[in-house]
Amino acid sequence: MTDGGAAGPWEADVLRALRDLAAVVGPALAPPGHHERLQSLVDAARDAFASQACSIALLDPDEQTLTFTVAAGVGATSTVGLRVPVSVGVAGWVVSSGQALEITDVTQDPRWAADVAEQTGYLPRSILAAPLETEHTLIGVVEVLDRDASRPGAERDLLMLSLLAQQAALSVESARLFTDSGRMLLDAIATAGGTELESLSSAMDDVAADRSSPVDPDLAELGSLLARLAAAGLAERRLAVRLVADVLDYADGRATP
Amino acid sequence: MTGVLPAWSWQFARGHLPSVAALPAELPLTREWAWGGATGAGVKVAVIDSGVDGAHPAIRGVAGGVAVEVDARTGRTTLVEGPHADLYGHGTACAGIIRRAAPECEIYSVRVLGARLSGRAAAFVTGLRWAVDNGMHVANLSLSSGRASQFATFHRVADEAYFAGTVLVCAVNNIPVPSYPSEFAAVLSVAARAGDDPFDYDYNPDPPVEFGAPGVDVDVAWTGGRTIRATGNSFACPHVTGLVARLLSKHPGLTPFQVKTVLHALASNARAVPTPG
Repeated sequence: MTDGGAAGPWEADVLRALRDLAAVVGPALAPPGHHERLQSLVDAARDAFASQACSIALLDPDEQTLTFTVAAGVGATSTVGLRVPVSVGVAGWVVSSGQALEITDVTQDPRWAADVAEQTGYLPRSILAAPLETEHTLIGVVEVLDRDASRPGAERDLLMLSLLAQQAALSVESARLFTDSGRMLLDAIATAGGTELESLSSAMDDVAADRSSPVDPDLAELGSLLARLAAAGLAERRLAVRLVADVLDYADGRATP
Repeated sequence: MTGVLPAWSWQFARGHLPSVAALPAELPLTREWAWGGATGAGVKVAVIDSGVDGAHPAIRGVAGGVAVEVDARTGRTTLVEGPHADLYGHGTACAGIIRRAAPECEIYSVRVLGARLSGRAAAFVTGLRWAVDNGMHVANLSLSSGRASQFATFHRVADEAYFAGTVLVCAVNNIPVPSYPSEFAAVLSVAARAGDDPFDYDYNPDPPVEFGAPGVDVDVAWTGGRTIRATGNSFACPHVTGLVARLLSKHPGLTPFQVKTVLHALASNARAVPTPG
């Protein structure tokens, strides 16, 4: 494509081939070992705290629900896949307030353990929980049930759990960035390979407009703009880079007035 | 003589400047002077949290409430006045502790949790500004934000509160991450220490956490009329809030820095300094 406009005949063939490939590969896209990394985190935490169980729940995109994704110890099998609202329980409180929490005797108010007891049938006595979040995103919560609080060094458990939570949060965030970027590109390629569409730019526009697409519409629109920018002049591209960098600096609170 | 005045000097012009009340006390300050016989009556306390269950026997009613809602699409916040529930029990726990030191203070619930999660910081700032704009004498913030992008906003709001005369009492996070506005000098920052006497607290000469108050294995009011035992900096914070409310009911009109001066002087680890001469 010489001017960002209609694709030539052989280019259309390449796009269609890429479309077919993308349609197959796209949905399976995820960085290798991500789930295993989270599983090993909860396995390690369960052991380090000498606890009955440890689990991580991730916040759904609707921000109304937490889904338990990995678990170790008592009731692990029943815990994975469990969904709880953010408006109740320890997990909900921790992700809503961003505060780590320790309840030494949850049996005085069992609703705090509702997320666990509901389906695993296991009502813990103590819960230690910390939020998973990064500078920009709320991700979820890690819970440790019935840890041995009498072992040496246990007074630092909240700190240790928060360090583990940070690791998990970074792992989830990087996996999502990988997945989102990759899917956006593949989705656009798959769309561009269709017989109706002629350019990558308009393909990105379509992805952005498609509300049922799993791709973030803002990222897709950005992709469309980048595709158009590729056909623009050097000065326009440099200006665009400067503007986007300034926006990010401002968002990070580092903007100079 | 020059006719030029630098910025702000016009406020100090004779005939323009009002007088201010000096701290109405003799040294050394005593607890009897500060809050002996006081009940918190007439002091407006905002609990900025998950809501407050006014029906709990330890709370015995709230004077008013406002809930902050966040629009999912625009991120804009709106205030919904009127009664609301405590979603988790945390706000009720804080209100119950405040009542111990200031049984007759007026508690206002400012619910900033339970709204859209990623609008949390905006809800927090809106709730804080409501407290300042509505003449709260003291606000209990058992929450904080750790986001670098929120530093400037929270700093500005904390200073607004300070100059408006609303004392902000803030818990630092339970884990050692940044806590805004808790770490700022314009607020009273609080962390937990052992003990259960609400009048027993310490001043830390090595800030940013300035006050230590009971927050380990504390019995706190909870939803459903219950009482549970919990640990956290967020339970130490209302201990100090209650003392501030008690102090202000006996000595209304103290500025936030006067309040901090009094609390500093009456801390359990404060020692008398011999006067010279």
